[in-house]
Amino acid sequence: MLILALIPLLSYARSTPEASDANAFIATLKRPPPARTPFAEARFMRVLDKPLVVSGELAWLGGDRLERRVDAPNRETATIADGEVTQQREGKKPRSFSLQRAPQLKVLLDSFVALLGGDPSRLGDAFDVKLARGDVHWTLTLTPRDARIAKQISAIRIDGAGTEPGCMRMEEADGDVAIDLLGDLATKMPATPTRENLAALCGGAP
Amino acid sequence: MRRGARIALLICWLLALAGLGLLIAQRLVVSTDLRSFMPAPTTPDQKLLMEQVGEGPGSRLLLVAIDGASDEKLAALSRGLSAKLRSDSAFSQTINGDFDLGMLDDQLLPYRYLLSPTLDTASFDRDYLADQLEQRLDDLGSPAATLLKGLLPRDPTLEVLKLAEQWTPAHSPEVRDGVWFSSRGEALLLVQTRAAGFDPGAQGEAIDRIRAAFAALPDSAGAHLTLSGPGYFSVVVNAQTRSEADWIGRISTIGFIVLMLAAYRSVRSLLLGALPVVSGALAGIAVMTLAFSEVHGITLAFGFTLLGVAQEYPIRLLSHRRAGETAIESVRGLWPLLLTAIASACIAYLAFYASGVGGLKQLAVFTITGLLAAGLTTRYALPWLLPDNVRDVESTPGLAAFRNFLDRLPRPRWLPVPVALVAVLMLVFAPGPFWQNDLSALTPLPRDLLATDARLRGELGAPDVRYLLIVEGATADDVLAVSQSVEPRMRALVAKKALDAFELPSIYLPSQAVQRARQAKLPAPDALDASLESALEGMPFRKDLFAPFRHDVEMARTALPLTPQAFVRSPLGQRLAAMLVQRGDHWIGLGTLSGVRDPDAVAALGADFGGNVRLLDLKEASESLVVEYRTRILHALLAATALLLVTITLALRSVRRAWHVLAPMTLATFLVLAVERAAGIPLSLFHLVALILAAGLGLHYALFFERDTDDPAEQRRTLHATVVCVVSALLVFGMLGWSSIPVLRAIGLTVSLGVAFHFCLSILMAPHARQD
Repeated sequence: MLILALIPLLSYARSTPEASDANAFIATLKRPPPARTPFAEARFMRVLDKPLVVSGELAWLGGDRLERRVDAPNRETATIADGEVTQQREGKKPRSFSLQRAPQLKVLLDSFVALLGGDPSRLGDAFDVKLARGDVHWTLTLTPRDARIAKQISAIRIDGAGTEPGCMRMEEADGDVAIDLLGDLATKMPATPTRENLAALCGGAP
Repeated sequence: MRRGARIALLICWLLALAGLGLLIAQRLVVSTDLRSFMPAPTTPDQKLLMEQVGEGPGSRLLLVAIDGASDEKLAALSRGLSAKLRSDSAFSQTINGDFDLGMLDDQLLPYRYLLSPTLDTASFDRDYLADQLEQRLDDLGSPAATLLKGLLPRDPTLEVLKLAEQWTPAHSPEVRDGVWFSSRGEALLLVQTRAAGFDPGAQGEAIDRIRAAFAALPDSAGAHLTLSGPGYFSVVVNAQTRSEADWIGRISTIGFIVLMLAAYRSVRSLLLGALPVVSGALAGIAVMTLAFSEVHGITLAFGFTLLGVAQEYPIRLLSHRRAGETAIESVRGLWPLLLTAIASACIAYLAFYASGVGGLKQLAVFTITGLLAAGLTTRYALPWLLPDNVRDVESTPGLAAFRNFLDRLPRPRWLPVPVALVAVLMLVFAPGPFWQNDLSALTPLPRDLLATDARLRGELGAPDVRYLLIVEGATADDVLAVSQSVEPRMRALVAKKALDAFELPSIYLPSQAVQRARQAKLPAPDALDASLESALEGMPFRKDLFAPFRHDVEMARTALPLTPQAFVRSPLGQRLAAMLVQRGDHWIGLGTLSGVRDPDAVAALGADFGGNVRLLDLKEASESLVVEYRTRILHALLAATALLLVTITLALRSVRRAWHVLAPMTLATFLVLAVERAAGIPLSLFHLVALILAAGLGLHYALFFERDTDDPAEQRRTLHATVVCVVSALLVFGMLGWSSIPVLRAIGLTVSLGVAFHFCLSILMAPHARQD
C-alpha cells in the first residue's frame, strides 16, 4: 500500500532531471549583451495572399531592451524599452505604443531576453517550456502561461543546432504564423517561402 | 405653582421639543451645494458661473495619482480602477491614457470618415489608397501587426487611430505600460464626476466610491492613492472646518457650563436655562423644513451662530431675580425691555429676508423663528419651572466692588467724539483692500495640496478651472460651426504660447456643413472599387479583404450627418454633452483651456466673432457676484438700521433715550470695523454676519444699562447679567478667534471684539452715571 502511494511522488521526482537538463541546456545559449543576429522573417497571414518577407537585425541591448531593425523592403527600427515600443520609419515621426498592446513583442522580449541572458527561471515564469533534443539539433517549445497573451500567441517554437538558435516560429491563435530565420540561416530565405520549405530549412530535433 | 403642575408643564415642553425633533428628523434635507447660498445671478457671465460652478467640465474633474508600487503594478491598478469607474454611473468619464477603440461604438464607426479631418485634405483616389496600403504592409511586417491586423479590413486608412489621437488631451502625460505616468512615476487618471463640483456632499460620495473601488483592487494594499481637483478641495475644506469647529465647540461648551454653574450655583437653573435656546433652534429648523424643500448647511451654521443672542434671555431672567421674588414677577418686570430687544433683533434679521438670496432668506426665517420661540418660552414657560428660592446674584462677592469701580470711571460727555474720530482715522488709513472679494481666501487650502494640484494639472494637461472659452449660437450646430472657425485661431495662440492647450466641442463633433463637405468627397461605390482595385495591383492583400471598408464608406457617404443628440448616446458622447449645453432659446459651447498665460490675447479673439465667442473668467465673475451679494446685504442692513431706530424710539418713547441705546451700539460696531481694518484684515460676508450678531448683543447691553435705576442692588444685577453674557460670548467666540481657518477666525474675532467694545461703550455712555 505504501509503495502505491509513493508512485506519484516517484514519477514527479523522475521529471526533475529532465527539467534541470532543460535548464542546463538553456544556460548554454547565454550571450553577453549587446547580442546581435541577422534575421529574415516570413509572415503567413490570413489577410494576405502570399507571405510577407522582411529582413534586418535583431539585437538584445541588455536588460529589457530589444531592438528590431528592418532593412528590407523598407527601413524601420522598432525599440522596446521600459514597456514602450517605439517605431521609427524613415521620413515619419516616431510612433509609440504600450508593450501591453503588442503581445507578439512581449513574447519575443520574454523569450529572447531569457534565452540570451541564460535565464531559465524567467523563461519558466512566462512559458511552459518543453525541450526535445537530438544529437545536434534541438527544439524548444514555449507556450505562454499568461491567458491574455495565450489568447493571441498560442506557441513559440525555436529550432537550433548546438548552441545556435536557427529558427523561431511564432504561432498566433488566429492561425497566422511568423517564421524567423536567424544567424547564418537568415541569408537562406527562399524566394517563395512556404511553411513546408521553411520547416525543412529549420530542421530541428527529430 | 404646584409641583405636579410644574412637572406636567416640563413634560409638555419636552414633548413639544421631541415633536419638533421628530418633524425635523423626517423633513430635514440638508443641501451642501454652495450655489443655493449665492444670490440670483444677473449678468450672463454670472449665470454661466453659477452653472459652471457646479456643472462645468473643469470643476467636475478629479485628478488621480497612484504611487508606491512597481510601474507594472501601478499600470495594472490604473487599468483596474478605470475599468471599475467606467462602469459606475457616478462618473461620466474616466481616462488613463489607455485609449479604448470601443469608445466609438459599432453603429457610429462608419461616421469616422465624417469626424476625421482626413478628407479635408485628401481624397480616396488610387494614389492615396496605394500609399496607405503600402504603409499598412509595412505595419504588418512590424511589431504593431497584431495591433492593426484586426482593423485592416474595415479601416485601411486607420481613421480610428487618427480620431483617437485627436481626442487624446493635447498635453497628455508620458505613456508607460499603456497608461499615463507622471514624471515622478505615478500612474495618472482623470475622472469626471456626474455630481456638481462644489457640492461637497455629492463629491464626498464620489470620492468614497473611488477609494472603495481602489481598495477592492487586488494588489492595491501597498499602493497609495492621491486625489486632487475642485471637488476634492471642497470636501477637504468642509471636513477641516467642521472638525475644527467641533473641537472648539466642545471646549467652549464645557467653559460655558462651568461659567453658568459659577454664576448661578444651580444645576437646575443651568439645565432649565438651556431650554429656551434649544426650543428656539428646534422651532427655527422645523419652520425652515416646512417653508423650504431643502435647508442649506451654511444656513444652519450661521443660524446657530446668530441664535447665540437668545442665550441672553434666560440669563437676564436668572440674574435679575430679586431674593424672595418669584420668577414670574421677575419676568413681568423684565418683559418690556426683553420684548424691545427681541423685536429689534428680529427686525435686524429681517434684512436678510429682503436680500433676495435663497440661503439668506432661510437664515432670516430660522433666526426670527428661533428668537421668537426662545423669547416667548423665556417669558411664558421658563418662569413657572424655575426654583422658588434662589440666591440673589446681587450679593455675589466682588460684584459690588466692580460696580463701584465702573461708577468711578470718568465718563466725559465728549467721549463719543474722539472714539468716532479714531475709528474714522483707522478706517481711512487702514492698509490693504477694504473688502475680501475672493471667497476662496476664506477657506484656504493647505499649501501642499495646492502644489500637488498644480503639479498633477500640469502633467495631465488638465484644463484650468478659472477660464472657459464660451461659444454661443442659436442652435447646437451654429455653436459647432463657430467653434470650428475658432480652432485654427486657438492653435495659432497655442503656437504663440498664449496658452498650453484647448479643447472645443467641434474637436469631438464637426458641424453639419463640414460633415456634408467630407461626405461629398467620399467616392461612390464604383469609383472606390476602381481606385481600390488599381491600388491593390502587385500587393499581397487578399482581393476581397476590404469589403467592410467599402461598406463603411458607402454608409458614411449616404447617411445623414451625425447630430449631437445621436453622438451623445455613444460612450464618448458624455464628453461632448459636458461641452455643449442648451440654455433657454440658444446653445452654448464650453471650450476648456489649460495653462493660460495671456488671457487678454484669448479674450481678444471675441472681437472677430461678433460676440459669439468670449473668454469667461470664472474668478472675475464670482468676485462680481460677491460684490453684488454684499451690496444687497448692506442695503438691507441700512433699511434694518432705519427700522431699528424707529422701533427703539417708539419703544422707549424718547429720542434721547433711544440715542443712549443706539449711539454706543453704532459706535462700537464701527470701532470693530476700524480695528479689523487697521489690522489689515479685508472684510468678508462672514465679518458682516458676525458684526450683526455682535450688534444684537450690544443692543441688549445698551438697553439694560440705559434702564439702570437708582437701586444699587438692581444695578448690580444688571451688571451681573451683562458680565455673564459678555464672558460667555467671549468664551465661545474668543475660542473661534484662535481657529486656523479664516472663516471661523473672522466670526470669532469680530464677535469677541464687538462684545468687548459694546460692553465698554455702553457702560461709559450710559446716562445714569453722568447724572450722579
